[in-house]
Amino acid sequence: MIQIVNILLGGLFQAALLFLVSSGLQLVFGVQKIVNLACGAIYALGAYFGIAAASHMFDLGAPRALLVPILLLSGIALAAVIGPVIERLLRTVYERDEHFQLLLTFALILIFEDVIRIFWGTSPQQLGDAYLVYGRIGIGSGILVPVYNFIVIGFAAVFAFAMQWLIGHTRFGAIVRATAENSRMSAAVGVCVSGIYVRVFTLGTALGTVGGALAIPASAASLAMGIDLIVDAFAVVIIGGLGSMKGALYGAVIVGLVKAIAIATLPEIEMLAIYLIVIAVLVLKPSGLFGKGAA
Amino acid sequence: MSLLEAEDVSVHYGAYCALAGVTIGVSEGEFVSIVGPNGAGKTTLVNVLTGLVKPSRGSVRFRGNDIAGRGPVYLSKLGLARSFQLVNIFPELTVRETIAVAVISRLGRGKSWFRSLQADREIRLQVEATAELFGLRGRLEERSGALPQGDKKLLDVASAFALRPVAILLDEPTSGVSTAEKNHVMKLMVAAAKEVGVLSLIQVEHDMDLVFGYSDRIIAIHQGRVLADTTPDGLRANAAVMATVVGKTSI
Amino acid sequence: MILRWLPLVACALIFAAPSIAGPYYITLLLPAFGYGIALLGINLLFGYTGLLSFGHALFIAIGAYSAAYMTSKAGILHIEAIFAVAIAAALLIAVPVGLLCVRYVKIFFGILTLAFSMLFYSFLFKFYHVTGGDEGIKVLRPLLFGHAFAERDKVSYLTGPFYYYMAGLLVIATAIMRRIASSPFGLRLRAVRDNPQKAEYLGVRVRLHRLVAFLISAVYGAIAGVALSVPTGLADPGLAYWLQSGNLIFMLLLGGYTNFYGPAIGAFAFIFLHDQVMSITEYWRFVFGVLLAVIVIFVPRGLMGLLDRRGRWAT
Repeated sequence: MIQIVNILLGGLFQAALLFLVSSGLQLVFGVQKIVNLACGAIYALGAYFGIAAASHMFDLGAPRALLVPILLLSGIALAAVIGPVIERLLRTVYERDEHFQLLLTFALILIFEDVIRIFWGTSPQQLGDAYLVYGRIGIGSGILVPVYNFIVIGFAAVFAFAMQWLIGHTRFGAIVRATAENSRMSAAVGVCVSGIYVRVFTLGTALGTVGGALAIPASAASLAMGIDLIVDAFAVVIIGGLGSMKGALYGAVIVGLVKAIAIATLPEIEMLAIYLIVIAVLVLKPSGLFGKGAA
Repeated sequence: MSLLEAEDVSVHYGAYCALAGVTIGVSEGEFVSIVGPNGAGKTTLVNVLTGLVKPSRGSVRFRGNDIAGRGPVYLSKLGLARSFQLVNIFPELTVRETIAVAVISRLGRGKSWFRSLQADREIRLQVEATAELFGLRGRLEERSGALPQGDKKLLDVASAFALRPVAILLDEPTSGVSTAEKNHVMKLMVAAAKEVGVLSLIQVEHDMDLVFGYSDRIIAIHQGRVLADTTPDGLRANAAVMATVVGKTSI
Repeated sequence: MILRWLPLVACALIFAAPSIAGPYYITLLLPAFGYGIALLGINLLFGYTGLLSFGHALFIAIGAYSAAYMTSKAGILHIEAIFAVAIAAALLIAVPVGLLCVRYVKIFFGILTLAFSMLFYSFLFKFYHVTGGDEGIKVLRPLLFGHAFAERDKVSYLTGPFYYYMAGLLVIATAIMRRIASSPFGLRLRAVRDNPQKAEYLGVRVRLHRLVAFLISAVYGAIAGVALSVPTGLADPGLAYWLQSGNLIFMLLLGGYTNFYGPAIGAFAFIFLHDQVMSITEYWRFVFGVLLAVIVIFVPRGLMGLLDRRGRWAT
């Protein structure tokens, strides 16, 4: 029984991270109709940068308890810089065939891969056990779960509500929704559409970088994490439905739990299990659980 | 002999009822126009008649075959073709290539991987003949996407005719065409139909002059139901329907 | 007209190369044949049918591992037999994968193909009892038309008989693809690309055509895989990795997908470019990423697009 709880918690932790990244994807897709293939690279960059920032701060004498705030801030700071730059680049292909968007974001993946190599080399980086500063909770049978995991899960939950509030109940959210529905009309009533695009894209990027930063204590930052994430994140998006935040949530939970169960039982089939679900969804309900976009 | 018939067709999208209890039939040799205000359900009816939408209730048959939701490919094999309200072409293909796609289907050459298209004389001749019928002969090598709007429309219709269908459904064939040109386009189509051997023409049209000028029968649709199904004279005599469908202008 | 003579000139150059250039450049050229064949298939899928696969490395890996199995495990060295097995293996995988993937377009198609290739990569990596894990499986020197050329050492074999064999294979593969592209089937593919709905109304079964294009491209990919694995002598999981698929896409864009010969030109251009860039910096991904971005934004029709304004699909 305890084992099951442990697996569930592991799954929820994965789900929390996936939810962050996937909602970034959904947001950007919903507003700008762009699917950001480079989200994995951004996630990886967030992880590496997070480690660098945290290590640096700790060297300067910052208390370890500040780990989470440091990771969050590093992710946001990174996104604030690269988000607008990437958006500007993608702007050149907004009006063109979708394939060009894919190709351009793919070019970004190549670029970021080497950027990581240039700054951090090829060996994985990690923060060691800095996350243990928050302690661990025993859930029975001698199994200890890091409090850090709960913090991340809690953060994702808070974020989900914050997102819902932001999109549904603020002026900014209303403008974003309007622009997503009909950008021409929005522009006609005076909305600076390109400004909205930049902000939304940066927010989406931030979700990616923060997700990557928060992931590191659980695993090392490695070059492979980007591509692993893309497949997982898109599994979430396909299962939940393109363009739907609710879908991102449900999809993330499903994928997270499946991964956790697979890792605990038969690690070899981890990827296979996800793909089988994706295939099943595509065959049975191609638009996903809550999807609006067409395949 | 009834070629295309819909019997008690209803289409529901959730709670919204697009068509209710529509029963119509088109016989060989008829030119039928479907008219009605916007939102009346004409597009849905066209989609049902061309196998794109499966009715929630009722049946649709073409030459006795059930075509409900069977899809465009099956229909093209049975001999029913369609042109579109919004210009529907292959932007990167030339006029010649566009018409050739239809001719290839008709001649059953689609499976050949190794035959050279250019060397195929039969396809070439048929393409040129169809282009000739629609006045597109001079534009054969042009990229469809670069054509003027009116020619794009003609190409859409021409490629449908190139299938040599038994019946063809034209969705607003003269929309986007200047008023001066409309009659010209209609005459082209009627002549082409005769030449190609199309037995029945069905069109959705808003221009009532054209409708009265060319139709054997007019079907008026309103709010998903058939309001009237009669000859032009019969429709003119029905003031109530005229008011709904045509508005205040009298013909 | 440069365009009309280009294929012939290129052909002449390729066959004359061993007499002109030294072994270094000839060995460098070898992968270009394999990539060229793969790209013919990839462009049938993208340029002609409108489907961009981000996971074509899957079929190249299938080809390479077929060669590895046949030579190392089954002891069959006839390259013709290897090709046959590679093609069969590719079709076996491509049918179910294709049936699923062609229901979707654009981004979903791309992600699905990427996912399948990474799934295969992960399989190759993990099941090392079967696949040799990250060490891979060796590919032994195959017999060309039954000849071993045993008297030649590796370099002599590769820059001699093998080179000519592959060049000939590329020419034949190109000729066959030309035929396919300029056939009624090829025209229907382009109709499917441009407007699937209208194509259906003109009697074209869209999904079937996409599937067939996918199968053909898979076969070409597998043949390429065999060709690529012989010079390296190894089939390893990296062949299925997404970066390999990325290289192929880069070559496609570099050469230009609107012209029939574009992608193959891209393969050769890539080889030289890669060689040059590697001698300057190890961060070739960065350079190529930037180049790809530049191409996508400014020169989307690639090198051949610069020469060929109109876009030569079937001529």
